[in-house]
Amino acid sequence: MIVNAELYVKDLPGQLVGSLEPISVVDGNILGVVHNRERIVNHRICINITFEAEDDQLERLKAIWKSKDIIISKIGTAYETFTMDYMLIGDIDARYIERLINKASTIADLDGVEVSYSSKTGDYSKRTGMLSVKTKSQEDLDKLDGFLDDECRRSGITYVRGV
Amino acid sequence: MRVFICGFGTVGQGFCEVLAARRQFLIDRYGEPVTVVGAMDSKTYAYNPNGFDPLELVSVKQGTGRVGTETYQDSVEVLSGAEFDILVEVSPTDVKTGGAGLRNIEYALGNGKDVITVNKGPLALKFRHLIDLAESNGCCLRFEGSVGGAMPIINLCRDNLAGERIESIRGIFNGTCNFILSKMDTGQPFEQVLKEAQQMGYAETDPTNDIEGYDSACKVVILANAVFGRDVTFNDVRITGITSITEDAISLAASHNMVIRLIGEVSESKLEVGPRLVPRGHPLGISGTLNTAQILSDLAGPVTVTGRGAGRIETASAILSDLISIMDERARRR
Repeated sequence: MIVNAELYVKDLPGQLVGSLEPISVVDGNILGVVHNRERIVNHRICINITFEAEDDQLERLKAIWKSKDIIISKIGTAYETFTMDYMLIGDIDARYIERLINKASTIADLDGVEVSYSSKTGDYSKRTGMLSVKTKSQEDLDKLDGFLDDECRRSGITYVRGV
Repeated sequence: MRVFICGFGTVGQGFCEVLAARRQFLIDRYGEPVTVVGAMDSKTYAYNPNGFDPLELVSVKQGTGRVGTETYQDSVEVLSGAEFDILVEVSPTDVKTGGAGLRNIEYALGNGKDVITVNKGPLALKFRHLIDLAESNGCCLRFEGSVGGAMPIINLCRDNLAGERIESIRGIFNGTCNFILSKMDTGQPFEQVLKEAQQMGYAETDPTNDIEGYDSACKVVILANAVFGRDVTFNDVRITGITSITEDAISLAASHNMVIRLIGEVSESKLEVGPRLVPRGHPLGISGTLNTAQILSDLAGPVTVTGRGAGRIETASAILSDLISIMDERARRR
């Protein structure tokens, strides 16, 4: 997994390297380092590191940093998200969309869904809803696209996806 | 070089005008003129083995409504009685059966004549059969103007991007739909914009082929076969038209800084035509009657081309490029 950590190290020579070495010790792969010399708290300098590591090595890494008197102020996982917008036009309402999203989430791993509606028209058969979906992989988006396309065709709803 | 033109409507007449305008260029390049020996409209034909003045043919058609004085029942019978080298097949398209255009092309290729066509029906229905027929008879079949009018795409992919692995092509292949959808961006309802498009000559009296996505689907089929080497027909395309796109849908898209455009999409696995949400400023978000295509290839990345997808001279320009390609090929063989 990809991890982002914010560390505070003593403002002494060799501290930056000292904070990076433990990542190699746990077989991690450093993706980016920001040495933020402007952010000094209690004579310590802020370092922001993004790296790849195995889940089960994270506790070991934190223990090594602590043993080296490195303060971990923030640590969390970061990952790439894939987003796509979908518009549905037809006889739809909030309950229909909710059911659709629930069903979709059994097919693809959805990281987040935002739904908006347009309610200008009084014609129930021409309601418009828009789904902005985030997933963790392109594969999930492809699965979702296939699912929505099929469902909408079955229900006589016009399906418009993003490019 | 003797040319027979089947179909003498807007495009056929435009091609005659372009031939007249480029007469000297063609003589300089090939050392011989391109002569129109025959022309055929829906009811009549004119044939002269010594050739016509192409502008005179246009003038006769515009003056009398007919290109010739002889009438016919079977276009293939007319072609079989004529001596020519290249058939320019620009008769009205028939996406259900291929119509007379398909029979004309089959006759010409079967008899070793090169063919240039912008007629989408025969290509969307019988592409592989026509290519095989051309190959087995040692002649050329060119159809650049059948997709995107003056916008170069087929020859661009096959010649300029020949070393690339083309992953996908997606684009706006119907100017009428793009005119309607971009007018709807300003708040006009579909029916009103369609009427306006008809009044301005952008849409046919029966606009079904355009607004239901059938015209774009034909072009997607041609690209799939010609560029991706697939063997697909019109019936393989997943088609959604634009008739159900409402003002509400347009304004909801706008509130997310997007527009809706009818996009054709083709790749090794995809063959689709449908309305798509396009971010404002994206190359596929263009307005008006223009056509555009985005070609995604492994080395060059995305390449985008834009141009006029229809029109008398614009389509004739694509036919001219095919004519030059065939004449270059003939010169190489000599």
